[in-house]
Amino acid sequence: MTGMAQAQLALRDVTVSFGGFVAVDRLDLAVNRGELRCLIGPNGAGKTTTLDLICGRARISSGAIVFDGTEIHQLSEFEIARTGIGRKFQVPSVFRELSVRDNLEIGSSRQHGVLHNLGRFGGAADRERLERLAELVGLSDDLGKQAAQLSHGQTQWLEIALILAQDPPLILMDEPTAGMTAHETGKTAELFNTLRGKHTLIVVEHDMGFVRDIAETISVMHQGRLLAQGTADEVSDDPQVREAYLGSGGIGHA
Amino acid sequence: MSNKPILQLLIYGAVCLALLLIPAFVDDAFLLNKFARYLIFGMLAVALSLSWGYAGILNLGQATTFGLGSYCMAMALKLKTVPIHTGAEGLPDFMVWNNVTELPWLWWPFQSLPFAVAAGILVPAAFAALLGWFMFGGRVAGVYSAIITLAAMVVVNLIIVDQQSYTGGFNGITDLARFEVLGISFDAYARSTYLLVAACLTVALFAALAVTRSKTGLILQAIRDQEERVRFFGYDVARYKTFVFAASAAIAGLAGMLYTIVMEFASPTFLGVPLSLSIVIWVAVGGRQSLLGAMLGALLVTGVQGSLSESETFLSTWTLVMGGLFVLIVLFMPRGLAGIVSGLRRRGTARKAAAQQSGSVGATGAPAGRTA
Ligand SMILES: Nc1ncnc2c1ncn2[C@@H]1O[C@H](COP(=O)(O)OP(=O)(O)OP(=O)(O)O)[C@@H](O)[C@H]1O
Ligand SMILES: [Mg+2]
Repeated sequence: MTGMAQAQLALRDVTVSFGGFVAVDRLDLAVNRGELRCLIGPNGAGKTTTLDLICGRARISSGAIVFDGTEIHQLSEFEIARTGIGRKFQVPSVFRELSVRDNLEIGSSRQHGVLHNLGRFGGAADRERLERLAELVGLSDDLGKQAAQLSHGQTQWLEIALILAQDPPLILMDEPTAGMTAHETGKTAELFNTLRGKHTLIVVEHDMGFVRDIAETISVMHQGRLLAQGTADEVSDDPQVREAYLGSGGIGHA
Repeated sequence: MSNKPILQLLIYGAVCLALLLIPAFVDDAFLLNKFARYLIFGMLAVALSLSWGYAGILNLGQATTFGLGSYCMAMALKLKTVPIHTGAEGLPDFMVWNNVTELPWLWWPFQSLPFAVAAGILVPAAFAALLGWFMFGGRVAGVYSAIITLAAMVVVNLIIVDQQSYTGGFNGITDLARFEVLGISFDAYARSTYLLVAACLTVALFAALAVTRSKTGLILQAIRDQEERVRFFGYDVARYKTFVFAASAAIAGLAGMLYTIVMEFASPTFLGVPLSLSIVIWVAVGGRQSLLGAMLGALLVTGVQGSLSESETFLSTWTLVMGGLFVLIVLFMPRGLAGIVSGLRRRGTARKAAAQQSGSVGATGAPAGRTA
C-alpha cells in the first residue's frame, strides 16, 4: 500500500450491492500513473462491476473513488469521462449505424459542447489523426463502412480506436481480446505495450498468455474482493488464487 | 442519407428552387394558398425529422410548438386591427365580450410585430427546452418521453381553451389584420405569401441540414444509436437532446406563424392530436432519417389528401388507407420512401463497382477472389 499516496486512481473500501447481493466487497485498489494493471479473476468475480464503478455506470454503496486527487464517485458519467477516464466495454459497443470514420469522429471528444460542435463540419482538423488511428488498428480500408458490417475482432479494435481517439489519461479495458484470433491478440498486446507509460491502463482479461505479455502488476479478484496482487508468477503460484480458480479449470481457462 | 455533401446540397437546392418557382406557373390564388399550406406541413415534417429521425426523440406533440407559434402571430395581427376588431383602446373584440377591461400584460409586447415574430420562434423553443430539460435530465426516453410530449400538448391545449378571455378559447383568434413587412403586404392568397412560406421552408431545411451535417448532428445520431455509450465520451447527452428538441420546436414555431398568415386565424385545433399524429405519418412515409424525404412525404400525403377532399366518402377511405400505410411502413420500411431511393442508388453503385471489378479481373486475367 506504499503507492497509495501518489496513486493516480484509488478505490478506497469500495462496496456495492445489487439488491442485497454484494458484487464488490470492501475493495482497495491503487493504480499509479502510467502503470498497466491487469485485473483478473474467475467469472462473476466483480471485475466488470469494478470498472463500472470507476466510470460511473454503477454507483458505489460505500467507500470512495479518487482520481487525480478528486473524488469522482458522485459525478455523472459524462463528468467522469471529462476528468480523463475512457472505457472499453466487455460487449463491444460502437455506433453500429454509423460509419467507422464517424465513430472515430465521435470518439475524438476533446470538445464536448453542443454549440462548439455545431460549428464543426467534416472533421478536417482531426482527419489526419483519425486516419492514423484507423491505420494503427488495421481499419484504414474500412473507414467508409458501416460499423455494423465489421467482424467481431474488428469491432473490438474499432472500440479500442475510439478510446485512443478520446485519448484519456486513464483507460479501462474490459476483455479487449475476447473473440480475437491468436494473431489479433498478439497485435493487441503489441499495441498495449506502446500505450504503456503514456496512459494509465486497467485491463480486465481472461487470456493468461496475453496478460503475461503485457502485465507488470496483476490484481486478482474473487467474490468481489481483492484476493492477491503481484507479478504473473507470484499470483499464479499463490495457493489462494489456485483455489479460487479450481472450479473453473485453472487460471487462464476461466 | 447521402454521403456526398455536395450532391446532397445540390438536390436540396434543386427541390427548394422548384418550390420557389411554382408561382411562375400557377396563377390560381386558391391553389397557391393550398400549396402554401402544404409547404408549412413540409416544414413541420422537417422539424420532426430533426428530433425523431436524427436523435430518436419521437415527439407526439409537435403541434404544441406549432400552435404556440401560430398564436404569437395571431396576437400581433389581432392588435393590428385597431380599431375595427379591437376597439379604440386596442382591446380585441372577444375580450370585450368576456368583460375584460384592460389589455392583459401578456398581450402588451405583441403590439410590436418584430417582438411577435421573435416570440413565435423563441417561445416554442423555450417551451421545448424546458420540457426537454425535465425529460432528458431525468433520463426519460423512448415511449415514455413520447407520452409526455403528447400529455404536454393536451395540457397546453386545455389551458388555451380554458382561458377564453385571454386566448379566444374554443374559437381561437379570428378577424386578423394582414401581415405587413417593409411595405409588402402578405395577403393569404397572394403570390408574396406563397413565396414567403417557400423561402422560410428553404431556410429551415438548410438550417436543419447544417445541424445534421455538423459534429453535433453526428453526436445526435450516436445518441439515437446508443445513448448510454455516448456519455462515456464526455458528452452531456441531456444537453444535446434538449438542444435538438428546442431547434425542432423553433422550426415548428416558424411554421405555426406562417400558418396563421395563410389561414388568417389561430385555433386550438392547431395544437391537436390529429395534426400531431399526421406529422408522424408524413415523416414515416417520407423517411425520418432524411430531412428532404420527410418534407416530400408531407407534401405527397397532404397533396393526395387535398385532392381527394372534395369527396366525403373518399376522405374517410383515405383515413383508413393512411392508417394502413403507416402500419406497413413502420413494419417493412423503417426508412420510408427516402430509404427506397437511397437503397436503389446504393444497389446501382454496387452493380457499377461489381461490373468494373469483373471487367478489370477479365482484363488482367487475375483469378477471382480477393481484390483490393
Ligand atoms: N446490475 C446488476 N444487478 C445485479 N447483479 C449484478 C449486476 N451487475 C453485476 N451483477 C452481479 O455481480 C457479479 C459480478 O459481476 P461482474 O460482471 O462484475 O463479473 P466479472 O468479474 O466481470 O465476470 P466475467 O468474467 O464473467 O465478465 C455477478 O454475479 C453478476 O451477476
Ligand atoms: Mg466482466
